[in-house]
Amino acid sequence: MEGLRRLEYRGYDSFGIAVANDGITVKKKQGKISLGGADLSGIRGTMGIGHTRWATHGVPNDQNAHPHLDCLGKIAVVHNGIIENYAALKRELQDRGHIFSSETDTEVIPHLLEEAFHGDLAAAVEEVVPRLEGSYALLVIASGCPEMVAARKRSPLVIGVGDRAFLAASDVTPILEHTERVVYLEDGDVAAVSTKGIVIRQGEANVERPVKRIDWSLAEVKKGGFPHYMQKEIFEQPEVFSATIRTLRDEEMPRILEGIQGVTLVACGTSYHAALICRYLIEEHCSIPARVELASEFKYSTPPGGDIVIGVSQSGETADTLAAIEKARMHNHPTLAITNVLGSTVTRIADHTLYMRAGPEISVAATKSFIAELAVFFHLVDRLSGGKLEPVLGSGHLAIGEALLQDLSSAVELCRGARSMFFVGRGTFYPLALEGALKMKEITYIHAEGYAAGEIKHGPFALLSPETPVVALCPPGPAFPAMFSNIKEMKARGTPMVVIGAKENQELEEVSDVFIPLPEGGLVSHVLASTTLLQLLAYHTAVALGRDVDQPRNLAKSVTVE
Amino acid sequence: MQAVILAAGEGRRLRPLTRSRPKALIPVGNRPLLDYVIDALLACGIREIIVVVGYRKEQVIRHLNTLDVSVEVVVQEKQLGTAHALLQAKDLIEGRFLVLPGDNFINSASIARIRDVKNAVLVKDHPYPSNFGVVVTKRGFVTRIVEKPALAPSFTISTGIFSLDPDFFSFIRENDMTDAVGAFTESGKKLRAVPADDWQDAVYPWDLLQMNQKLIPSAAPEKAGEVSGTCVIQGQVRIGKGSRVGPGTCIAGPVVIGPGCEIGPHACIMPFSSIGARVRIEPFTVVENAILMDDTEVGSHSRIKDTVIGEGVHLEDHVSTVTAAPLMEIQGEQIKGRFGAILGEKVRAGPFTTFEGAIVGNSVRIGGGSRIRSTMAYDDGGLVV
Repeated sequence: MEGLRRLEYRGYDSFGIAVANDGITVKKKQGKISLGGADLSGIRGTMGIGHTRWATHGVPNDQNAHPHLDCLGKIAVVHNGIIENYAALKRELQDRGHIFSSETDTEVIPHLLEEAFHGDLAAAVEEVVPRLEGSYALLVIASGCPEMVAARKRSPLVIGVGDRAFLAASDVTPILEHTERVVYLEDGDVAAVSTKGIVIRQGEANVERPVKRIDWSLAEVKKGGFPHYMQKEIFEQPEVFSATIRTLRDEEMPRILEGIQGVTLVACGTSYHAALICRYLIEEHCSIPARVELASEFKYSTPPGGDIVIGVSQSGETADTLAAIEKARMHNHPTLAITNVLGSTVTRIADHTLYMRAGPEISVAATKSFIAELAVFFHLVDRLSGGKLEPVLGSGHLAIGEALLQDLSSAVELCRGARSMFFVGRGTFYPLALEGALKMKEITYIHAEGYAAGEIKHGPFALLSPETPVVALCPPGPAFPAMFSNIKEMKARGTPMVVIGAKENQELEEVSDVFIPLPEGGLVSHVLASTTLLQLLAYHTAVALGRDVDQPRNLAKSVTVE
Repeated sequence: MQAVILAAGEGRRLRPLTRSRPKALIPVGNRPLLDYVIDALLACGIREIIVVVGYRKEQVIRHLNTLDVSVEVVVQEKQLGTAHALLQAKDLIEGRFLVLPGDNFINSASIARIRDVKNAVLVKDHPYPSNFGVVVTKRGFVTRIVEKPALAPSFTISTGIFSLDPDFFSFIRENDMTDAVGAFTESGKKLRAVPADDWQDAVYPWDLLQMNQKLIPSAAPEKAGEVSGTCVIQGQVRIGKGSRVGPGTCIAGPVVIGPGCEIGPHACIMPFSSIGARVRIEPFTVVENAILMDDTEVGSHSRIKDTVIGEGVHLEDHVSTVTAAPLMEIQGEQIKGRFGAILGEKVRAGPFTTFEGAIVGNSVRIGGGSRIRSTMAYDDGGLVV
C-alpha cells in the first residue's frame, strides 16, 4: 500500500490490488489511496499486484479500476499505457463469448490470456503481447501459478531485487523502501518472476539485464517535516542547482556537441519553458541558431539538417519527448537527452545523456527539476560559448537562497481573490512569465496566462481590470525601459501590479502595488531568484486557497501517454 | 525515551548572523549546533527525537532532512517562549522525556547523568550568571529559578536541559520555562539539580569563537580534497571533498575546511579556523581563530583573525581585522566582547578595508580603504564609502 501511495503522483483517480493465494483476491476502489485505503487490509498471500490509475479509457470508478480479471477470475492484470487496438480485440473476444465488466482497454488482456493460458503463464503472456498495439507495462498473476509475469513496451517498468522478494513497479520510488537494486526492463521484454529468480525473455531468446543500484535514499522521497512535497522541493533548490553545476563541471563535454550548426530543443510543460530560456542564452552567447519545439508538436515538423536535437524530460519517460527523439534519430540527427532519472527510457534511445541532480521529485508541479534543467542549460551555454557564464554559475545557489527568505504574504493576499491573472516579462523573462503562470494555474486553479509584455497591447489589454492582478518581471537589463513603461500603462488601467525587480528602485516601487525585490547579481542570478519567487507565490496562494498542492486535480506527474 | 529539542528561537543577540537561520543552525566547527545536540542524544541511545521549529523553520527542516536520523518535526508558529515551544510537542509525548535547547553545546556524558533521573534539571556554574536562568538549590533540589536577574542569587545556572514527567505540562501557564518550573516546585513537586559535565552556550557572536575552539577537534581528520605536494600540513586537519589547496599553503590544525573550497596558493590557515563549503581564500592571506561560513571569498594579502564571517561575504585584497575589546550595545544591553570582526551575510568590502572590533550588518557594502571601528553601528543593507 505504501508503495502504491508513493506512485500516486502518476495518477490517482482509482486504485486496486490483487493477491494470489488459493484463488485470487481483488480489492479496488475509486478515489485517492491517501483518502481510503483501510479496507484493503487483511488480505493474505505471497504475491500481489497493485495499480493506481489515471483514466484514459472509461471514467474513474470502481469497475474501471485495475486489476482486471478474466471471465473465471483466475488471471489478474494491471496495466499502464494504452492498448490502441483494444476495440477490435474486444469485439473479437465478445464474439467468442467473453464477458467484459469494465470499459477499459486493459481488460482485453486478461481475456486474451485466458485463451492462451495452459499452465505456463510466461508462455501465455509471450503469446498474447504481439497482438497488443500501443504501449504497456503489464504485471500478471494467475491462480495456482507460482510466478508473476511482467512485460513492457513503451511504458516504464522496473523490477526491484530484494533479499527475499522481488518487486515490480513503473518507477523506482515505491521500491526504494525495500531495496536499492533494480532491473530496468527493455521494450519487448517478458519477465517471469518467481521465488527462484527472474527469467527475462526477449522473443525466443533468454536475455540478461544488469542489476543497477539506485543512489537515492528513502529519506529523499519523504516529506520530512514539510507540509507539502512542493515546499520541500522548492527549499532543496539551492543544493540541487550547485550539485548539478558541480557534477557537470567534472564531466567531459559530449563529443556530439562539437562544431554544431544549430540546436533544436524539444520538451513539454515546465521543461519547455526551461528550453525557451536556453534559446535566448544560446543565441546570445554562442551565436548558434536555436529553436524550441513542444514535443507533442515536433512530430508535425522536421528540424533543419545538421541540428542536434536535445530532448528534455525530468522523468525520462514523457511519451511525447521519447517520440520526438525517436523521430530525430530516424532523420539522422544527433540526439542528446537531459533527464533526472538514471536508466530511464530516454537515456537508452538518445546518443548521449546529461543528468540533472534534482533527486526524486514527487510534487506534480515541477519546481526543483526546472532549476536543475536551467543548471544544465547554463552549463551547456557556458561550454559552447567558451566559458562566458562560468564566473556566475558558482554563486547561483545564493540567489535562490536569498529568494527563499522573501516574505510574499502581501502578494499572496492580492492573488488569492483573483479569478484571472496575467504574468508578463520580456526577453529571458518572457519564458519565466509563462512558467510563473503555469505554476499558478496548475496548483491554485486560478486562470493565469503568461504573456510577452509587448504583446499585452495586442489583445489581453481588453481583459485588464482592477480584478485582474498582473505579475510583472522587471529586472534591470536591456528590456527594463520598455518593461517599465508597460507596467505604467497597465497600472493606469487600475490593474493591481505585483512587480519583481531590482531593489532600491524608487520609481518601480512607486508604480507597483506589491514590490518584490531581487537579490543583487546578473542575469543568471535574477532568472534563478525570479523562478523561486514565482514558485513560492503560486505555492503560498494555493495553500491560502486550501488546494491540494502536491496532487492538483486532473494532473499526473509524468505523462507517459500521448 | 523521547527527547524534545527546542530549535524555534532566533537567538537575537547573535544578529546579524541569524538573518537566514535560527541560532541552532549556526555552524561551529562546520556543523550546526543542533547536530552536536542530536549526536549527544544518539550516543546516549536516545533515538526518538522531536524537534520544535519556528523561526526560519524551512531551513531547519531542510537541514534535518539531510541527516541520517529520522526526527519528528513540530512547528511553533509564534516564538512566545520556551515553555510554549515545549507545549507544541505535548501530543507526541508518551512518557518521561528530555527537553534540550537546540542551540547550546552539550556532551553525551551530561545527558547520561540526567537520563535516568525523574524530574531533574542539568545545572552548571558560570562566572556571569546574569544572562541565564539562575538556580537556587537546597540539598540537591531546586527551590527557585530566576530568569536573567540583575543581581544573581548564586553562580549556578540552568542549562535548559530537563528530564520531566508528562504531568509537567499541567504546570505550563505562562510561555516561559522558568514560570513553569516555578509553578512545578511551588506545588511541592521535587526537581533535582544535576551538575552537567560539559555544557556551553554562545550568547553573543564572539562566544561562537570559544565554542569553535572546543568543537573543531571533534571533527575527524580527513584529506578528501586535492592537496599540493608542497603544502605544509600539521596537526588535526579535515579537508572536504573537491577542495583544492594550492602550492606553498601552510595549514596548522586543528582546522576544518569544507567541500569545494579553493585555498591558496601560499595561504596560511592557522589553528581554530572553521572554513565552510565553497570558500575561496586567495594567496598570501592568513586566517586564524575564525569561522568563515559557506561561499565566502577572502582576497589576497588579507589577515582574518578572531572573526566570524557570514555566508556569501566577499572581501577584496589587503583586508585586515584588528582584535579589540569594544563596549557594544546588543539588544539594549551594554556588553564587552573581544574579537576582530563579526560580518553579516553577503557583506562586500573593498581593498585595504580594516575592521577593528566591528559588527557589520547583512549586505552592507564597504568602499575600499575604509576603517570600520566598533563605535559605529552598521545596519543591514547599509553603505559605507
